[in-house]
Amino acid sequence: MKNTLGNTPDAPAPGRTTGAGRLLITVYGIFAISATARAGFQIATAFNDAPVAYLLSAFAAVVYIVATISLARPGHKSAVTATTAICIELAGVLVVGLLSVFDAQAFPHATVWSMFGQGYGYVPLVLPLVGLWWLYRHRAAAAK
Amino acid sequence: MTVDGWFYAGLVVGLASTIICIVAAVMKKRPNDITLLSLAGVELFTIIYAVASLLRLTTGEHLAGAGWEFWGYMFTAAALPVAGFYWAMMERTFWSNYVMGAVGVTVVVMLARMAQIWYGLSPAVQHLQPGIGQ
Repeated sequence: MKNTLGNTPDAPAPGRTTGAGRLLITVYGIFAISATARAGFQIATAFNDAPVAYLLSAFAAVVYIVATISLARPGHKSAVTATTAICIELAGVLVVGLLSVFDAQAFPHATVWSMFGQGYGYVPLVLPLVGLWWLYRHRAAAAK
Repeated sequence: MTVDGWFYAGLVVGLASTIICIVAAVMKKRPNDITLLSLAGVELFTIIYAVASLLRLTTGEHLAGAGWEFWGYMFTAAALPVAGFYWAMMERTFWSNYVMGAVGVTVVVMLARMAQIWYGLSPAVQHLQPGIGQ
């Protein structure tokens, strides 16, 4: 057997974008759509109420879009991009979550990451952890 | 939020689809007629809901919230089963059933938001979502 599955040298990151990875990409895609729609609506209708919170929403939307696309694309570069985006996402949900708990005055207007994503069933808090774990599990394949 | 028959009907159809797909995925089954039909059921419900909403609006009822936000949700909810179908069919493993299972529950959440836009937010939940859909 010369070409068994899994040790073909030029196989593009086997596993990362298939199987459970597709479910992860699906959930990221749903968040990309909802965060984009929410930020777009907030900025279009009530931007002056809370420009910082709504720009943060837009930033979160961009992070989700980048994470979704880079998770779905095979290859080492995409894996690095995805890792970076998800680390930013994790930092965002932790910082915004902590600030919204201890300094509620600074965040009177909700974003995806407020209260650690409470309004979205805490999925925004769990998702980056799952994402990083998934990328870590497939690091060897991605490094080829 | 006021819930009506439409929301309950959508809740049943959406959650049924999610449960069917997840059970099939746990049983390591590939997408089959049952899971695909459950997804089609979600799509059918969304289309019926859209047509009925249009009729209700043209016969005198009116939205408490923004119309384009309501129809934005409606359009996205109608697109989700189609997108889920294509995304699942590109790789026909049991994981595809998990992907399709994510559609139903997402549509239910969107239906809840649509009910809020239709009837308006109750004061009890208004503080959770300041700045949107008031």
